[in-house]
Amino acid sequence: PVEGAGDANCVDEILKEMTQLWPPPLTAIHTPCKTEPSKFPFPTKDPHPFPS
Amino acid sequence: VQSTEFSSTIEIPDYVVKYMPMVSMDQRQSYKNDFNAEYDEYRLLHARVENITRRFTQLDAKCRKLAPGTKEYQKVQEEVLKEYKKMKQHSPNYHEEKQRCEYLHNKLAHIKRLIADFDQRRAQAWS
Repeated sequence: PVEGAGDANCVDEILKEMTQLWPPPLTAIHTPCKTEPSKFPFPTKDPHPFPS
Repeated sequence: VQSTEFSSTIEIPDYVVKYMPMVSMDQRQSYKNDFNAEYDEYRLLHARVENITRRFTQLDAKCRKLAPGTKEYQKVQEEVLKEYKKMKQHSPNYHEEKQRCEYLHNKLAHIKRLIADFDQRRAQAWS
C-alpha cells in the first residue's frame, strides 16, 4: 500500500505496485477437455462437449 | 543470492494436502464440483484486478512517453494519484481481493491439473 502526498516518488511507487503482471484467467473445466483423444471411450453427461 | 532450496521450510498450501491425485470417477466429479463452486468468485475477482491493472498500465505507458518536468507529464502524474485514491475508495479491500484471487488461481489450477492428469491416465489405459 502506498501512502503519502503527491510527489514523484509516490507516483513511481504506485505505478510499480499497480502494474504488476497479471496472468490471464484460468478457463473452466470442460468435459471432455480439448486435449483428450477423440476416441475417449467414456460417455459424457454434457450433450455439448464444446462451449458454444 | 540465497539458496533456492526450501524443501524443509516451504509451506505447503492447504489445497495440495486436500486434493491428492484422484483414483475414481466419483472423485473426479467431486473435484470438478469444488472447482466450479469457486470458479465464479475467482473470475469476478480476476476481472476486477485486471481492470484496475489495465488502467494503471495505460497511465504508466503515458508517463513513459513524456519527458519529466513537462506540464503534460505532471498532469499524468496527478491522474495516477487521482486514480489511486479512487481505487482506494471503490475497492478498499483491493489488496486482500488480489491475494484471494491469486490463492484461488493456484488452487483451481492445481485441481484442474489433477483432473487433466487423471483424464490422460484413463485415456491411455483404454487405448
